[in-house]
Amino acid sequence: MTPAKTPTADEAPARSFWYAYVFLIAALALALQLYVAVLSPLAYADRVLVLVGLATVMAALVVAYDMHLKYEPRWILLIPFGSLALVFVLVAALLASSGSAPPP
Amino acid sequence: MAGSALLAAGHRVGMAEAEVRTDPEVEHEHGSPWPFVIAVGAAIGYVGLVISLPLLVFGVIVFLAGAVGWLRDDLHSVSRAVYGTATAISAKFRHVSDRKLAVWLFLATEVMFFSALIGTSWTLRFRNSYGLPWGMPGQVLDVPITALNTFILFASSLTMVEALASIERGDQKRMRRFLAATLVLGIAFVVIQAREFYTLYFVEGLTFTSAPDGLNPLYGQTFFIQTGTHGAHVTAGVFALLYTTIKAWKGGFTKENHEAVELVALYWNFVDVVWIFLFTIVYLI
Repeated sequence: MTPAKTPTADEAPARSFWYAYVFLIAALALALQLYVAVLSPLAYADRVLVLVGLATVMAALVVAYDMHLKYEPRWILLIPFGSLALVFVLVAALLASSGSAPPP
Repeated sequence: MAGSALLAAGHRVGMAEAEVRTDPEVEHEHGSPWPFVIAVGAAIGYVGLVISLPLLVFGVIVFLAGAVGWLRDDLHSVSRAVYGTATAISAKFRHVSDRKLAVWLFLATEVMFFSALIGTSWTLRFRNSYGLPWGMPGQVLDVPITALNTFILFASSLTMVEALASIERGDQKRMRRFLAATLVLGIAFVVIQAREFYTLYFVEGLTFTSAPDGLNPLYGQTFFIQTGTHGAHVTAGVFALLYTTIKAWKGGFTKENHEAVELVALYWNFVDVVWIFLFTIVYLI
């Protein structure tokens, strides 16, 4: 049996240092999203790109710092991102195969 | 002779017990019957789902009885020695405990589940059955209120990780306060979402089969299935938080024994991540 890694007294404050920053960045990104979605004169396609980009940044910060993925062994990344990659392939196939269907 | 043999045997047994007590590598079995009861309840429920409603109800009752029994046992076994030290937490893989690995695997299934829901909704939107448009931001859905709800969920993620940071430093009082704050924020999110659902369904006329303003009727279906499923996950998280907060108030977590807080935090932050994408896709695009 291998001992599990638990944060030492030095590691825990180092991790918690980022929590407030992640919250602030996420809150700012949310405000920016609202501006882009409601007030921005951007074209629809550009708007979608910016909104999804901001959401990805917010999610990445939460996963990396609040869920501690940044501090876990690298192979743990395979679990969430492996499943995500599989779903991307399946959803892309679904989108590609869906033409304009006639109303039922 | 016989007496000395017995004494020697007794001494060996005593030594073995002492070794078991002091060896942190030894796995202590709790011997709880409740996981078995839960499994039996689930099996009966699944069979009932196919063949009989009363059997399904019976299965659910057995399942809930098992869950309550297990939680009650756990609630009364505060800071057990079995989970007392870092080395006593079993781990088949280096640097990750079995329980944390199990939660990550569970979250991987959740990633696939939510991605399938979102992917299907996108497909229905682009396929544009009925030839009717989708709702634009703010047309039917209340974006400002939901943005506030998103902020509440962000704040709850912060309080959750602060609770974890507190117990990592051994600060019980601070952990309890942050857990209680997370619980309140989680309940607020669910209440605001329930109010939104009520308004949309009964006032605005966004239902499972119809949508206002000549919008695509699939708009309502995809909206409720995506946000409703997420709301159900948040509700489950609120129950997990309630349990964790009660256990924390009973002194159930210590600086050395708080893995459950970290695992609940993992789940709670995961529902936050899912909401970040759902809010963007469902409300803003």
